[in-house]
Amino acid sequence: MKRTFNYTGRQKIKRERISINFIRVNGSVVSFALDRLDLDDLNLPSNARVYVEAYYRTELKRFDFGTVSNRSNPPSCDLTDLAYSENLKFRVIVVDTASGKILAHADGISPEASAERKSILPVEFKDLGNEIWRVEYEGDGQAPILCINNRITNIQNIASQDSQFLIYVYPAVIREILTHMVFVDNVDSTTEPSTDWHGDWLRFIRQLRVEPPETLNKENDNFDNERSLQWINRAVEAFCNTHSTKFQEYLQRLQEEKQ
Amino acid sequence: MIAVRIMSPEGEERFRNYIHNLRADPSTLRPDLNEEPFSSEFSPRVLIDETNVLSSKMRLAEYLQECFKRAGLRREDVFGRRGLWTWLAYIWFDQLAPIKSNTGMRAITEDAKYICSSDYRDYYRHLVAGPYMIYSLHGPDNSRIFLYNPVYEHNDFIEQFASRQFIISHRNIVEAISWLYLNPVNNEPRRGAQSRNRPGNIRRFVRLIQQFELTYDVYTMSPDQILDLLPAEFNEWRPGR
Repeated sequence: MKRTFNYTGRQKIKRERISINFIRVNGSVVSFALDRLDLDDLNLPSNARVYVEAYYRTELKRFDFGTVSNRSNPPSCDLTDLAYSENLKFRVIVVDTASGKILAHADGISPEASAERKSILPVEFKDLGNEIWRVEYEGDGQAPILCINNRITNIQNIASQDSQFLIYVYPAVIREILTHMVFVDNVDSTTEPSTDWHGDWLRFIRQLRVEPPETLNKENDNFDNERSLQWINRAVEAFCNTHSTKFQEYLQRLQEEKQ
Repeated sequence: MIAVRIMSPEGEERFRNYIHNLRADPSTLRPDLNEEPFSSEFSPRVLIDETNVLSSKMRLAEYLQECFKRAGLRREDVFGRRGLWTWLAYIWFDQLAPIKSNTGMRAITEDAKYICSSDYRDYYRHLVAGPYMIYSLHGPDNSRIFLYNPVYEHNDFIEQFASRQFIISHRNIVEAISWLYLNPVNNEPRRGAQSRNRPGNIRRFVRLIQQFELTYDVYTMSPDQILDLLPAEFNEWRPGR
């Protein structure tokens, strides 16, 4: 029988109290959402801090989720700067900041299986003539699919790895999809939309810490064109900020090439 | 200069056979694996100088960092690309397994030093991936303790620390390790740190950190605070003793 010691009385947070999901773009993990963390009945001090760590092998990144009594999301749950993002596990720890001791923990948490393989933007490589990319609304429930021209040599590698491709293409793709959602489709609710893919995209944008306006429903009297456009712009801006390192690297490369 | 390639499973098998055959017959000719289906060019294109003399693990890691940076690649873009690391070991094999002057035989060790393993328990042992992984995570100053020796030699600091995810992924612990065990005069480990019997040796450090990990939020501690947790047996190793 395996024996463990627990002299400090740290508590184990049961797996069923936690729900973590990956957020994907183009099938790749870009961030995560802590959808559920139930610390009730654990008698933890209200001011103890709650952290979530993403880790795998050499990779480790910590996210601060506030305190036990005042939970808050960190500014970003970005995972794009970690290697092996598909394999990441999560650890939740609650820490007494005065003593630095761990009061409660849960380790080795995998993201929810149902959400694990769900991509909000499937990618298809096909002949697009002289266009580089195009968004087609032919997925489930007319969900968007990013089509990329397979006449471009090595395009699959470029699309998945090239930072230049990411900063040029994805902001425009996101703007196009959100514009389509609001001004072509019509989003009937910002909390429980009847179209599944609208819900997925609203959730993704919320993960970027951009809240939608009161309504995105064109048939609602409170619908505001300007506010809706501002929401789209802020979402694109937040996405770009999440990938600012790619942008900086690209600028640096341009400067180096110029010299 | 040569464009970096990714070794395919077929190429890996050929490379493995070559290494096995070399152990028995030093005259075995190296197969050409720089073409399909044994390898394919890495994208984006990265150029390296295959004749570059890699005087130490540190020099190897610095050089790769420069090459990847020029190509706009970050560490997370190349970590886990096993075929890349295996191909690099193939291309620099003469330096990773040099011919010993006294026997005329190549100094060949276990396969995992040349063929990058998907098993995390072996990955850090790879003679190219291991140094790059440490350097890219911790930068030049805190990597010295791990990367001081020739490219073809493994060392106990990598074996004891890099094999433990909790230790190698915490910058503050790695910094504390450098403070304790690096001789700043010659940038090499202090004498006796790797001894199994000397108080405060590196194995004792590992054992204690593994205990602290369960109790303390080590992540938020400074290297100083980590050293303060260590018992008196570490006093002779503390900086400024």
